[in-house]
Amino acid sequence: MGSTTIDFVSAQNGSGATVVRVCGELAVDTIPKISETFDTILDKHLPFVVVDMMGVSLFSSSVLGHLMGYREKLVSKDGDLVLAGLSLEIKSELNLLGANRVFKIYNDVQSAINSYRWDREHISQSLSLSFPSELRFVPAVRQLASRVARQKNYGSRDSFRIETIVDEVCNNAVEHGKSGRGKDVALNLTIDREKIELQVVNETDPDKVAVLKELSTSILKAPEKPGSAVGTDRKRGRGLALIKMLSNDLRIDFSEEGTSVHVTRRRGE
Amino acid sequence: MESQIELEHEQLKGVANAIVVRFVGDLDATNVEFVLEKVCNFINEGHIHIIADFKKLRYVNSTGLGVLLHFNKSAREKGGSFKIANVNENVYEIIEIIGATSLLEIYDELDEAIESLK
Repeated sequence: MGSTTIDFVSAQNGSGATVVRVCGELAVDTIPKISETFDTILDKHLPFVVVDMMGVSLFSSSVLGHLMGYREKLVSKDGDLVLAGLSLEIKSELNLLGANRVFKIYNDVQSAINSYRWDREHISQSLSLSFPSELRFVPAVRQLASRVARQKNYGSRDSFRIETIVDEVCNNAVEHGKSGRGKDVALNLTIDREKIELQVVNETDPDKVAVLKELSTSILKAPEKPGSAVGTDRKRGRGLALIKMLSNDLRIDFSEEGTSVHVTRRRGE
Repeated sequence: MESQIELEHEQLKGVANAIVVRFVGDLDATNVEFVLEKVCNFINEGHIHIIADFKKLRYVNSTGLGVLLHFNKSAREKGGSFKIANVNENVYEIIEIIGATSLLEIYDELDEAIESLK
């Protein structure tokens, strides 16, 4: 059996995260050392632990079970124990054992710490992009928004709704906006653990502004219940009605520079 | 960069003028014309009873929903029907929000939709 080391690395970069760096073979005989390390962590009330497994060549199911026990204790104290830096072989073994449904697993320690900080410190992240005002670009944009939401641990239902909102807002921007060189649609998406805010700006055809204002006003003022905002026999405005029903806040500003749509969607509502 | 959608169809045995059309992929503004043409052709060729199997339809938006309502209307005008089965919960929510659940015949399972034609 090769030598095994378990190093306790204190919080990094003021993140509040504790890193336990493990090297070698995590066999049954390492359990006392693991217990000693994690008992110390619990005694010191350190809530969030990243186990850096970059140097681990063997991970026994007994040790896995032991870590699950410590994870439960940390979760009960509003913390967590996550794994980082696993080899492909060990990751596959953990997947087979179903451990990926218990532990959050990250590619590396820094990714784990970033995720922890984002979740705990209410950090928001933004994404800005622009695309030519053509429908064919919209699917990639909406799917990107959905993936961002999933990456930030939003559920599949939330991610789907965000995908739908982005799709409908961008489709409207393309349909009612000017197209051609320099007439891009600009999108800004800001996400934190509680909500996603979306802003889409485009240059609107001046001839359409009056009609769009009237249509959007009628839909925004309509009562908020399924189907009531638009009427199923009407073609125009279904997308906007859908955005309204899926959003917590929707504002549309028309100006000479263009149309700006602001949407806020809260997580899990 | 258009969304991918495939329509697979097969005749329904034991029911005249009926086909099952399986939607595979995403139905949105980039491919709605293709779907419109294909399904309208089915109806115009005499397949006035259409069962749309949504088991592998991941996504639909308001434009896509618009053509589903159009198929429903077209089939009924010819004395037929347009039924939908196996809708995933995300797609169902979109249909529900638009208020189309009362207009479209929606079944949990494909077998139930087929049975309704017999």
